[in-house]
Amino acid sequence: MAIDLRYTDAHRALRAEARAWLEANVPREPLPSFDTAEGFEAHRRWEAQLHSGRWSMVTWPQEFGGRGLDLIEWLIFEEEYYRVDAPFRVNQNGVFLFGPTLMEYGTPEQKARFLPRLAAGEDMWAQVWSEPQAGSDLAALRTTAVRDGDHYVINGHKIWSTRAVHADWGFGLFRTDPASERHRGLSYIVFPLRTPGVRIRGIPQLDGKAGFAEIFFEDARVPVADLIGGEGQGWSIAMATAGFERGLMLRSPARFQRTAQRLVELYRRETAAQGAAPIDPGLGAAVTQCWMDAEAYALATYMTASRLIAGGSIGAEASLNKVFWSELDVAMHRAAIALLGARAELRAQGSEAAAAADEACRWMDGFLFSLAGPIYAGANEIQRNIIAERVLGLPKG
Amino acid sequence: MDFTFTEEQELAAQALRGLLDDHCSGADLRRAAEARGAGAFAAARALRRERLKELGLAGVLVPTSAGGLGLAPIDLARLAEEAGRAALPEPLIDVEGIALPMLAQLAAAAPGAHDALAAALAQQATVLAVTPGSGPVAAAVDADYLLVGRSPDELALHRRDALRLTSVESVDPLRRLATVELTDAAPLAVLQGSVARQAWDAAASRSAALIAAQQLGLGARMIAIAVAYALDRKQFGKAIGANQAVKHALADAQMRVEFARPVVYAACAALDASAPPDASASLRVSHAFVAAADAADRAARAAIQVHGAMGYSWEVDLQFYAKRAWTSAALAGGRSAHFARLHRALLDGSAATGPDHLFDAGAARA
Ligand SMILES: Cc1cc2nc3c(=O)[nH]c(=O)nc-3n(C[C@H](O)[C@H](O)[C@H](O)COP(=O)(O)OP(=O)(O)OC[C@H]3O[C@@H](n4cnc5c(N)ncnc54)[C@H](O)[C@@H]3O)c2cc1C
Repeated sequence: MAIDLRYTDAHRALRAEARAWLEANVPREPLPSFDTAEGFEAHRRWEAQLHSGRWSMVTWPQEFGGRGLDLIEWLIFEEEYYRVDAPFRVNQNGVFLFGPTLMEYGTPEQKARFLPRLAAGEDMWAQVWSEPQAGSDLAALRTTAVRDGDHYVINGHKIWSTRAVHADWGFGLFRTDPASERHRGLSYIVFPLRTPGVRIRGIPQLDGKAGFAEIFFEDARVPVADLIGGEGQGWSIAMATAGFERGLMLRSPARFQRTAQRLVELYRRETAAQGAAPIDPGLGAAVTQCWMDAEAYALATYMTASRLIAGGSIGAEASLNKVFWSELDVAMHRAAIALLGARAELRAQGSEAAAAADEACRWMDGFLFSLAGPIYAGANEIQRNIIAERVLGLPKG
Repeated sequence: MDFTFTEEQELAAQALRGLLDDHCSGADLRRAAEARGAGAFAAARALRRERLKELGLAGVLVPTSAGGLGLAPIDLARLAEEAGRAALPEPLIDVEGIALPMLAQLAAAAPGAHDALAAALAQQATVLAVTPGSGPVAAAVDADYLLVGRSPDELALHRRDALRLTSVESVDPLRRLATVELTDAAPLAVLQGSVARQAWDAAASRSAALIAAQQLGLGARMIAIAVAYALDRKQFGKAIGANQAVKHALADAQMRVEFARPVVYAACAALDASAPPDASASLRVSHAFVAAADAADRAARAAIQVHGAMGYSWEVDLQFYAKRAWTSAALAGGRSAHFARLHRALLDGSAATGPDHLFDAGAARA
């Protein structure tokens, strides 16, 4: 083996198959935002449609509805997916965070119960970890799940749970040992969001839509059978999930390459059209840097994927990825907003669908969302601490 | 599709690293810089050269039919990185990666170059290429032969002593610069026209890609030096490296190096030992050059800042790596020209964009 950056015939065939299916099936018009009831249901139908083509979980084993593809093949599929601007994955947290966690830590019964429904788009999942007093310092969480016969009784307050307003299930982190502190005594428990004693209140995001929610638990009863892994193992399981989150799969490079492509096209159009108001030369440099960084992120992901396929592993260096893509995303959207000038603030009139289809709206919505990237999945300051301490070996503060 | 190095490639890099740890430490660089070519330096350099010969790299990019090892630029990538990591003063990468494949091309057409090629492959002579129109050349004063051209349409071989060399001081005391002027002396061998131009074009791409690889090593070395200092130096009763401002600056430098790395490797993998690159490979080389130069610069500035006043002093070896990084950024056309080229290609649409083009036809060779 040696560095050989050519696709195999099987890769080309996979690409062609994915392309043909996506071109025939991707909705002609962009779907309305999944942070609305209407948009959420439209995205749920899209998940089911993806499943009907066996494209919803391409890296999962066949028995759970996947294709058993390796990471390079996954990258190829993602390239085709973003090439046609297919809808964002409303079940993202189920697909890339909960699913892989369950595959590693779930019992056979749990896997059979949850994974096929997840793959089929029947259950949408929300991550229920953060609390008002436990953000970056997640180990400070206080919501308790106390054993009572064959149930846990949950009490407390969670927050920032993405898409919990419309989703079906939550994967949560709770304190099963009320006397415990920090990362000891935590457990990973899943529960239907419509459980009695669970109250969900949407929180509007910067765009005004309730894209995340706070969740109040008042004596909510959850069967012990829905504990994932052992009682008290929650922290290490959650950290494995967080590894998936920061690591390869949360943000595939194709997403940023597509944004970079749209940015370059916008820059070319604006340059060609520039009349009395010339373009700031700094924007040309910014666009070039964005394109370079999107390419670099893609190449880095191929390199990591190759290393993992060859038996390697990914550790704290996942934090480098998370900082890199989140800051790239901000930079790309900032450049686009600057190129759009006064048009950037205008909202499309009429429906959610009109907004999704409108170029300026897409950039502005994307810009607002990009600002969350350096915060969620572990704020970038925390990631830089991890890089400094665990990659470079600097002392803990 | 495989984006991992072979075991042999890794072992070769490790061997070079071990050798350079022994014979090209910061202290060795300091002695060399302060001796300015005097006796002690010459002896150390001679020893290092002997040890480098034992690596058996001679003719690594020269076709086997011409007596070389017939390998590709990617086989030199990790070695170039190690040369950068040590700020190796000898032009190992320039000789093996740039000049020797050109000399082999010349020898294939002009018998007058046979002796020079044979001597170079036997490690009895060094040959360097002086890009037409370029500024002063590092280590040319030590070369036996020089490849030159009155224009990019000419590739001519001369003995060094047939040309007029004038030493020039550099801010990087280890570069040993000299300007090279042609004289009336007739070349030992010469190629004219498009063959010559292609040889220079191909050499320029190899040079840019392999300089980028050296920048990766320089960047990583400077971060390592800064980390060691940040662990050692205490202020306010604790190691300065426990402070987030210090941590984050080094984390950012690390990120730039790690995201330049795959670009550099992909650029090297896209190049041939002697043929000029296609358009997409050539853009990837420019990308690699810019990304690696910027990463090394970021590392240099972070590392100097982490050292406080010590970082501004001659006493810290860090300076040798930083100066090499900065001077290297101006070589092979220079960072600014490579960046401008990428910008132009995006603006005129000749650069491929979008998710499905990353490794398009011709962009990657085995
Ligand atoms: C769009 C979005 C979606 C989210 N979705 C979910 C979800 O689905 N489920 C879920 O459980 N959570 C979710 N979160 C919450 C997310 O995980 C937290 O926001 C994140 O962990 C940071 O916690 P915090 O918001 O409480 O900020 P804080 O921890 O209060 O941090 C505030 C600021 O202080 C900095 N800071 C804190 N500690 C340190 C330190 N030690 N060193 C240096 N700087 C520090 C942070 O970096 C940040 O800049 C989401 C957040 C966002 C923005």
